[in-house]
Amino acid sequence: MRSVFPYLALAGLLGAIGWAVSFGTLPPADFSFCNESEIKTIDPAIVTGQPEGRVIRGLFEGLVNWHPEDLHPIPGVADRWTISDDRLTYRFHIRPDAQWSDGSPVTSEDFVYSFRRFLHPATGAEYAYQLHYVRGARDFNHARVKVGESVEIELYKRPENALPDAPGVIVRGRLVDVEPPLPDNNDEPADDHAVEESESEADDIKRTYTVEIDGRMRRFRQREDERAEPSPDGGENYRWLLPDFEEVAIRAPDPATLIIELENPTPYFLTLTGFYPLFPVNRECVETHPFPSWTKPENLVCNGPYILESRRIRDRVRLRKNPYYWDRDNIHFETVDALAIESLTTALNMYLTGQLDYIPQVPATVVPTLLEQDRVDFNPTPYLGTYYYRINTTRPPLDNPLVRRALSRAIDREEIVTRVTRAGQLPGHSFVPPGLAGYEQALCEGYDPEEAKRLLAEAGYPGGRGFPANLEIMYNTHEMHKSIAELIQSQWKRVLGIDVKLQNQEWAAYLSHQRQLQYSVCRAAWIGDYPDPNTFLDMFVSDGANNQTGWGNAEYDRLIEAAAREAEPEARMALLHDAEEILMDELPIIPVYYYVSTFMVKPYVEGFYPNIQDVHPLQGMRIDTDKKRLAIESLR
Amino acid sequence: MIGFLVRRLGWMIITLWVVFTISFALMRSVPGGPLSSERALEPEIEKNIRARYHLDEPLMKQYLRELGNTLQGDLGYSFKLADFSVNEIIAQGFPISATLGIVALGVALSIGLTAGIVSAIRRQSLIDVTLMSLATVGIALPNFVVAGILIILLVFLWPVFPAAGWGNLSQLVLPGFCLGLPYAAYVARLARTGLLDVLSQDYIRTARAKGLRTPTVILRHALKGAMLPVVSFMGPAIAGILTGSLVVEQIFAIPGLGVHFIQAATQRDYTLAMGLVLLYTTLLYTMNLLVDVSYVYLDPRAKLE
Repeated sequence: MRSVFPYLALAGLLGAIGWAVSFGTLPPADFSFCNESEIKTIDPAIVTGQPEGRVIRGLFEGLVNWHPEDLHPIPGVADRWTISDDRLTYRFHIRPDAQWSDGSPVTSEDFVYSFRRFLHPATGAEYAYQLHYVRGARDFNHARVKVGESVEIELYKRPENALPDAPGVIVRGRLVDVEPPLPDNNDEPADDHAVEESESEADDIKRTYTVEIDGRMRRFRQREDERAEPSPDGGENYRWLLPDFEEVAIRAPDPATLIIELENPTPYFLTLTGFYPLFPVNRECVETHPFPSWTKPENLVCNGPYILESRRIRDRVRLRKNPYYWDRDNIHFETVDALAIESLTTALNMYLTGQLDYIPQVPATVVPTLLEQDRVDFNPTPYLGTYYYRINTTRPPLDNPLVRRALSRAIDREEIVTRVTRAGQLPGHSFVPPGLAGYEQALCEGYDPEEAKRLLAEAGYPGGRGFPANLEIMYNTHEMHKSIAELIQSQWKRVLGIDVKLQNQEWAAYLSHQRQLQYSVCRAAWIGDYPDPNTFLDMFVSDGANNQTGWGNAEYDRLIEAAAREAEPEARMALLHDAEEILMDELPIIPVYYYVSTFMVKPYVEGFYPNIQDVHPLQGMRIDTDKKRLAIESLR
Repeated sequence: MIGFLVRRLGWMIITLWVVFTISFALMRSVPGGPLSSERALEPEIEKNIRARYHLDEPLMKQYLRELGNTLQGDLGYSFKLADFSVNEIIAQGFPISATLGIVALGVALSIGLTAGIVSAIRRQSLIDVTLMSLATVGIALPNFVVAGILIILLVFLWPVFPAAGWGNLSQLVLPGFCLGLPYAAYVARLARTGLLDVLSQDYIRTARAKGLRTPTVILRHALKGAMLPVVSFMGPAIAGILTGSLVVEQIFAIPGLGVHFIQAATQRDYTLAMGLVLLYTTLLYTMNLLVDVSYVYLDPRAKLE
């Protein structure tokens, strides 16, 4: 027995090595880039991250595409569109040669299906609010039904010959009554008949809905178990009871036409239709293979420039050119690899040794070195994001605007960007970063030690005396956040004579403390979802989920609301500017700096343009093979 | 022997259940959850997502549901890698970590044992002092430092190996070496101590007295006994090495389990974290069991009870 041991070990070793090698060396793709982390999923409806976006943009295509240089909308699946004069009705014409990767045509029905799926509560789409601009969409997404309006009820019973993951039979009718009686919030007429699903604890008391369907009254009551018997009072069991999707203003009068009506003129809506959550999915594919199996390479049907060839978890997503893509002549890579590389240093090493053609970010520590080298492939560019400090305005003395102003004016932002971040970031004096066409930022006042001291004295803490010593700056664990917090801590000490502590929190805990206002001052950042100041400013309305400062201002809310209703672009920007002025005067948040994106791309990649959202469509990108050969030779 | 194994197996099941319960409670009690994101959601949207993942149910119900699924071998779908089930993630990641681990073990044992034996035989000599100093350094140096040095030397200055990635032999060398080195250092020290201990025993003197040559004495008689401390160290070490190393996997962009381990915890990926904890428990338990069994073969005095 004992003599067998070493041989067994040796056999195991050789076997493992043999297996590792047989794992297959994929030939390198035509274009390889670092995609930072493993993507959550390739279902466009339920993701929110940059890495997901990079892959999904390769696989799917929306109504419009974004121009690679400045991201303005250009034809995508829709080859042309018209917008009504009141800017409320969008009529898209679907191009006749748009096809799914199985060869079937992409129709306006596909968009109706995909938008419905995106908004359906069962999908649980985080980005669902990007379609709330559409009339009726928010109520559908929130499952908010009203008495007297038409509703749709999905039953557990399945239609005949239904695909495995197709919804059950759907009946439509007018909601006549809801029992138990409505909650007594009748003081608000607008909300009079609104019925929201109760929270989980109260789920035992299910409401019973009476719906008039084809002239007949039917009662519905939801039970957990789909096999549950009808209750004694005769309520039928159901899966979903939602406002009728017919009431949501997304219609397909014919296969080539899609009409969308908005609640308010929303100037950035056209751009949003090129945002990946609004990309279409193939109904047959999604309903034949229940999630997540429709996302597997062998099942996925998509309509973008690439199809999914293979996936290896936390290794790579490999894309292959889609032969059915309408603009296939403009696709120059046969294969593309998106590598999930978490470590920035590793990505940089792989870039420098020629394994990668594009990396979205380099480690902050090497930025000064790279800048000194004066490389052609490293040019940090402005990015639509702001690094800022949230202030808990419910906690004295931070509830005093004078104190917040003093804190802001005591921060030397120039010192932060030159000593800590060092990648060409610009000091931030507004919440909305620069670079948005037509918008003039409202600035807060800059570094002024004397004025800061005066403000603090005016607030009742001359020279920092009497200022509570228990305030802390909270940040999530990261070297950079720590250095910035330390610097601000010392600036406040130097200028204002106050002591604050630093508190380092792991990511999830940091988020949850922030949400529950369990902090004094905390580090935060916001990256714009779409190129419009609204993506920043609507955060700080009084009940905004992302406000998280306890701050509220009625005039601010009014301005944001008015801007949403304003059809005239210039007037709208002026309203948003006024709102930001309030924000920068009251300072529930203190802007610190504007982000830059520190990507690197090989000089031989053509058709790649820096832009403020750091989005780089693969369409039109190509590699200059001569330049590449020279680059590879120079590496040797 | 059979009775012993059956008993241990029974204990293993109980251990797994306890680990499952404690992990479940711990994961649910830390702040945040799998849905935490920088972007706070409208309460209605958040409710939709919670319902999708059954997070809106009472904890006991979630516990029983998960326990039931786990018993049927279904670890559920990952929260953060939603296209894959936990079983798929482990099935893809474990063989990679295990392969890397076996290479690292090969490095650890070949370097470690050689160094340990040479040191023991040439006790107090220059070579002994050098090797043991190196071993101390090897234990003390974190492997990201070793990896950094190796990358500078063998990737940039003298480009013989690729910077990172997974798929062929040359990509296996640097990470295998980095992962194995600290273990080699431990093995060297343990092997030296074990061998010195054995060499002073009576039966070795007997062997020498019979006129056996030194290599025979050491390889045939001394080594087996000297292996005991190494073997008891290697049991848990193998479990650790097989399930991957965060640092090495991250530096060399290797799609193993090590990264999953840390990320599942920090991102509150309940299902994936649970799957990995159970996998690690099973491995650790099995390895310790193997160590106990192998004692019987290595040391005639040991008995299974």
